[in-house]
Amino acid sequence: MLIIENIRLALSAIGINKMRSFLTMLGIIIGISSVIAITAIGSSIQGVVNKQFESVGKGAVILYVNWSMIDGYVPSEASFTMDDLEKFRREFKDELRYADPYVTEVSTVRVGDIEKKMYVYGRDVGYDRMMNMNIIYGRMLNEAEVAGARPRIVLDAPSAVALFGTENAVGGTVELTLEGETKDYTVVGVYKEEETIFTQMNTSENVTGIVPYTLMPMQADNTLYFYTFVDDTLNISEVGTQMANWLVRLKGMPEGYYIYEAAAEQQGAMNEVLSMLSIAIGIIAGISLLVGGIGIMNIMLVSVTERTREIGIRKSLGARTGDILFQFLIESMIVSAMGGLLGTGLGMLIAALGMGAVGVEFSMNPMVVVVAVGFSAIIGMFFGIYPARRAAKMDPIEALRYE
Amino acid sequence: MSEIIRLQGVSKTYDTGKIQVQALKPLDLLVEQGEYVAIMGSSGSGKSTLMNILGCLDRPTEGQYFLAGEDVSKKNDNELSLIRNQKIGFVFQSFNLIPRTSALKNVELPMVYAKVPARKREARARELLEKVGLGQRTDHMPNEISGGQKQRVAIARALANQPPIIFADEPTGNLDSKSSVEIMEIFTKLNREEGNTVVLVTHEPDIAEFADRILTFKDGCVVSDRRKNASAGCGEVEKPC
Repeated sequence: MLIIENIRLALSAIGINKMRSFLTMLGIIIGISSVIAITAIGSSIQGVVNKQFESVGKGAVILYVNWSMIDGYVPSEASFTMDDLEKFRREFKDELRYADPYVTEVSTVRVGDIEKKMYVYGRDVGYDRMMNMNIIYGRMLNEAEVAGARPRIVLDAPSAVALFGTENAVGGTVELTLEGETKDYTVVGVYKEEETIFTQMNTSENVTGIVPYTLMPMQADNTLYFYTFVDDTLNISEVGTQMANWLVRLKGMPEGYYIYEAAAEQQGAMNEVLSMLSIAIGIIAGISLLVGGIGIMNIMLVSVTERTREIGIRKSLGARTGDILFQFLIESMIVSAMGGLLGTGLGMLIAALGMGAVGVEFSMNPMVVVVAVGFSAIIGMFFGIYPARRAAKMDPIEALRYE
Repeated sequence: MSEIIRLQGVSKTYDTGKIQVQALKPLDLLVEQGEYVAIMGSSGSGKSTLMNILGCLDRPTEGQYFLAGEDVSKKNDNELSLIRNQKIGFVFQSFNLIPRTSALKNVELPMVYAKVPARKREARARELLEKVGLGQRTDHMPNEISGGQKQRVAIARALANQPPIIFADEPTGNLDSKSSVEIMEIFTKLNREEGNTVVLVTHEPDIAEFADRILTFKDGCVVSDRRKNASAGCGEVEKPC
């Protein structure tokens, strides 16, 4: 096989008709670039989505009252007490890694003259590990603080800056009112959230803090939610169902009264949507590549006809059928692969610009380039077969006579 | 001298569907190695048909063609390609150089198909262009050189794989008389000094006179086979058609 010779020949043939070669490639360029752009955008979005779900925590499951079963108001016997939480924890000690009664309050916080609205979350020990929280100063709440309902608080970094003018607010004191009780809370830690599009969007003046959930006993003793983390090696759906059913029995409520929601399931559903989208785009791309391929076939047929005489000369000099076939196949493959390469570049540029515009980190698997170019070459080969065969089968005498 | 071409009852009939045209009537022909043969005849006389068969571009309808002792009349397309590549050098009336391809690359072409390594190929092509007096024109494109120069490139190309036999189809047909003589002198030199068998087709008597043996065609058959050097003993043979 005269591979190098044929590649050289193909490149010179492409070079001679630059404009025509480019127009031929256009179909492939458009097809490949749209695939690349959209898969790149898709995978970037998927990255963001996955990160978002990670920020919710792996294995997060919320158990709550099924609102569709509620008519008007929730009866008081339906809500969970701290005692129920303890029973729940004992029952599912193998499955559960964390559980809190999901208490929260929007309250007023004061440090000296500074007064702000604060979202206060009541959490248990170990919440930071579940969420992979990045504690930059101090520490998370400890067991004694939660058990003893001690007035301790962990702030997020922007809140520490807003209240104390520095991220390192450990040791500082804030005045906070929870469930009507005003106390001085000592800052024991500061954490930093990873930036996502959502944190960037959060430009509100409000601050955020985490306190022992035991400091909001009224809520904790009368909650409609359990916020839990389940061992993520288990089947989340199965465990979620078991837990909801167990709560139904515990509270003596009708079946289906409590339900669960798992981040992993939502993530799965989201990924499913994204992959459906990919399939739809794949079909569109397939059509545009088909059109591109037909364009290549068309131009190769023109090229073969134009070069009839050249084919005749080559045959008279000893080129065999296979040599001519190979020459034209290589040419159509190279035209197509070049189109694929240009399309990949263009697609990545579009994706990078698009992602840059919305401020999402651009991520793409480099294998995509190899696959795109390889796939284009295959298209070129497939659509080049017919023209190349036509060239190869020419009768040398006829071809030499062609004007 | 050994024989290089032997035709036995070779004929060619073109089937145009309704009618059959016998372009070449059954022909016996013997050409020895090192001969210098001109085939003459007016257009339509069958000389081009014969040339195509001799050049292994076409197969006879009937009869046998032995080229260097090998029966090539029944070979398939790829086998004929190999024979054209190794045993035959072509020179055409319209030069048939590959356009937009340098003289050097044109001369290299038969060696490409013979799978000669690139370096060796280039060296040989330069040497051949030097030999035909185009050592300074190796990188010129066909459209940058004169007709006579193009034909020299074509001759260099025909010699690339050192074929024992050169077929030239009206090699001077597109050239002025001065270039024609120069080209014919190259053929004569190849025949005399390199021992190549040269078979050329022409309708110009003064070109044919360069050859040692002149075959004249008319209506699909040889009407005269004249050897200039009568020492071989046959001289001119008139053949009834």
